[in-house]
Amino acid sequence: MNKSIIRYVLGHILIIEGALMLLPCLVALFYQERNGIYFLIVAALCEVIGFLMSRKKPKSYLIYTKEGCVTTALSWILLSMFGAIPFVLTGEIPSYTDALFETISGFTTTGASILSDVESLSHCSIFWRSFTHWIGGMGVLVFLLAIVPLSGGSNINLMKAESPGPTVGKLVPKVRYTARILYIIYFSLTLIQIALLLFGGMNLFDSVTISFGTAGTGGFSIKNDGMANYSLYIKWVVTIFMTLFGVSFNAYYILLFSRDKKAFLIDEVKWYFIIILTATAIITIRIIGISKSFGTALTDSAFQVSSIITTTGFSTTDFDLWDETSKAILVLLMFIGACSGSTGGGIKVSRFVVTIKTIFKEITSFIHPRCVKKIKMDGKPVEHETIRSINVYFITFIMLFVISTLLVSLEGHGFITTFTSVTTCINNIGPGLGKTGPTCNFGFLSPLTKYVLMFDMLAGRLELFPLLLLFHPALIKDFFTRGKH
Amino acid sequence: MFEHKANDKTGLRIIIVGCGKVGRTLTEQLSKEGHDITIIDTNAVRVQETTNLHDVMGIIGNGASYSVQMEAGIEDTDLIIAVTNSDELNLLCCTIATQVGNCAAIARVRNPDYSKEVSYLREKLGLAMIINPELEAAKETARMLYLPTALEINTFAHGEAELIKFKVPAHNILDGITVANLSQNIFSNLLVCAVERENNVYIPSGDFKINAGDIISFVSHRENARKFLNKIGFNTKQVKQTMIIGGGRAAYYLAKDLLSMGISVKIIELNKARCEELSILLPEAIIINGDGTDEALLKEEGISNAQSFVALTGIDEENILLTLYARRVSTAKVITKINRITFREVISQLDLGSVIYPKYITSETILGYVRAKTNSKNSNIETLYHMFDQNVEAIEFRISEDTELNDIPLKELKLKDNLLISFINRNGDIIIPSGQDCIKTGDTVMIFTTHTGFNDIRDILA
Repeated sequence: MNKSIIRYVLGHILIIEGALMLLPCLVALFYQERNGIYFLIVAALCEVIGFLMSRKKPKSYLIYTKEGCVTTALSWILLSMFGAIPFVLTGEIPSYTDALFETISGFTTTGASILSDVESLSHCSIFWRSFTHWIGGMGVLVFLLAIVPLSGGSNINLMKAESPGPTVGKLVPKVRYTARILYIIYFSLTLIQIALLLFGGMNLFDSVTISFGTAGTGGFSIKNDGMANYSLYIKWVVTIFMTLFGVSFNAYYILLFSRDKKAFLIDEVKWYFIIILTATAIITIRIIGISKSFGTALTDSAFQVSSIITTTGFSTTDFDLWDETSKAILVLLMFIGACSGSTGGGIKVSRFVVTIKTIFKEITSFIHPRCVKKIKMDGKPVEHETIRSINVYFITFIMLFVISTLLVSLEGHGFITTFTSVTTCINNIGPGLGKTGPTCNFGFLSPLTKYVLMFDMLAGRLELFPLLLLFHPALIKDFFTRGKH
Repeated sequence: MFEHKANDKTGLRIIIVGCGKVGRTLTEQLSKEGHDITIIDTNAVRVQETTNLHDVMGIIGNGASYSVQMEAGIEDTDLIIAVTNSDELNLLCCTIATQVGNCAAIARVRNPDYSKEVSYLREKLGLAMIINPELEAAKETARMLYLPTALEINTFAHGEAELIKFKVPAHNILDGITVANLSQNIFSNLLVCAVERENNVYIPSGDFKINAGDIISFVSHRENARKFLNKIGFNTKQVKQTMIIGGGRAAYYLAKDLLSMGISVKIIELNKARCEELSILLPEAIIINGDGTDEALLKEEGISNAQSFVALTGIDEENILLTLYARRVSTAKVITKINRITFREVISQLDLGSVIYPKYITSETILGYVRAKTNSKNSNIETLYHMFDQNVEAIEFRISEDTELNDIPLKELKLKDNLLISFINRNGDIIIPSGQDCIKTGDTVMIFTTHTGFNDIRDILA
């Protein structure tokens, strides 16, 4: 294994994290908060360690699938470990486990919080918390690829390991420009949202942090009561933007830059919108009885549906009080997740579409046993290899889910709480139902449960395999033995 | 977004159709040189493998289809290279591409039926280049049979200058003398460009000492090369007869070439029908129907008396074994064709004599074209060769304008290490430069270097 490139990339990741941590320092400077000094210290620490790690050039720039996965998994762990330190230093989250939970929840764009009183945090901490969503949304390695020229052509394997979805395609021939285009779209959409929120009378700090949470489909709220007290206009802006960030970014590229607009009929995006509209309609009808008016019901259900399916996890209302059907729909949406190639989590719409098509194909084969039929997406046949990997993904997901549920159940918080807190973490959403519902938090759980959930969040964000690969015996052995050279 | 994209982008946008051996070699080399490459192949696995290793975009589909080409962005493409295994598909790809987009097109066409019509096809279909690897390989083989001592011969400046590679045998007069000594005492009008020794390539300076077993490459004027080799005791007569194993396309082209040079040709081919075809196409050649790997048959056909022996079957392993066998039982000049481009290091350690790689010849020719096209503004590079497993580049620059290098004696220029000015072509006169010579406007200058990515003659300065 090419350990030197892993070290080199990890070093760069720390340098980037250190640089990004200067932003909360600026916020602290603006609000005259003393906590900013801790961010400055950790930023300096990251820079020094990162510099030392990346000082020596790697022997080879070759990144195979395994190096790509290992680098990605380790980057995310490292990123979270350093990102958690300021919370401990400022004393706002005294326990490192809690701080790590909060940071992983931030980077993986989950938005599950252990804090009961968010409003007591300093501005710089709130900013950093929300900013982790923005960094984690598009991915820090994609950011790295956009700015650091890594020679060698195999660095697509880094992007593949980090970007969500069953297949990762490039927009333009070079990884570097693909990564740049993605970040440009991401950045522009975020700016538009900030502008629209400002236009709705929100103050700058709130619009920026809320936009970070929306863009990364994260969902850390900056108020104790979530999004409940914002105006109708702001709720709809956030609803629309959550939905937009859940759309595959390839669609935006095609829409904006490709001359071949016909290709815009992406199956996944079509199904994504069909699911959102159907779910919103059903829930609106179901909750109209307990809402003040049809308008409120529509707003709440649209907001909640897009918040859950994009795995953002903002809430305008305590949906734990809704009827069973609506809650069941929301839990289903948690699993479906957003489009691949977006910032959202979950299993992804495309995997479901392919699986459902496979099921239909299988049923047809009972009627016509010798029937040959290729499954198509966007008018193109899906490779057998892709279908196989999707099937394995589902099985692995279920296994991991079952094991995590079992471990969390040891605490005995009731089935709904156990089930939904694992669901919400592994799918990177945020609030669950029951004791971890939208009005509650994860602070009361035991450290063991927190570590299980942290693992689930990382596994969910990195789509299972990069993280699971770290535990493969051959790889561990490889890691601790010296290479031949 | 596209502003800064345009700024730090110097490469061309290239579509490569076909991800076979040549396609991959081209992809590797061109992506290293910073071009934006999109590859198209119907085989998803191959596309996947290539995109995993190189920074290129892959599209699965038929490269000749309009919609696939549109998806690959044909409208903004500078160059399309079609190297699938079907000639017709390659031609169709290029024809469609030139209709849709405003791009240059290169097609690989191998069928001898078309080979006579290459220039007609090229003109009528509006292609930039039609390349025929077997024909190129045959040409190179023929050159080597013309001067059998040489392991490899490359020609520059329209055949006026030759780069000749040979191995220094034990007890040769070259054994133990320095490069400076060679040009002072033995033969002055040549330049030793590179020495291969134990897998390393050296660009020698004057005090470099030549040992027996070294493989030396030197540049000189065509006639001088022969005189030099004669002087140091090599046989420089062309062969009179040759034995070719395998009757494929390369064998046909080679036989045709050799027959026209007055060399008698014997082809051993297993397939009866193919033998009949060959006998119609090449009435002067002796066509033997039989298994070329059969030792008895080879003996019967007089392998031990053969003056030259060319292994051109489709299977590399067979070719290698045949060559090793021929070297054992005869004193013939042997040439081996190797199709696969993997394991080159191992192959170069075997004592095979001359080896030709049709796939490399193809990609080299295309690369040379791309290099020249990239620089069409400055129009500096005439030809480019990769040598010694791509460790050395030989670049021919045209000096079309005044540069700061002009009219300065070469010894006063501060050149990079591992770089050599091998000859200057001044209106067709080949000058093997000494320290007093200088570069003038209108010259073409050939340099040898282990550095890569030179685009301009100024790059040679340290």
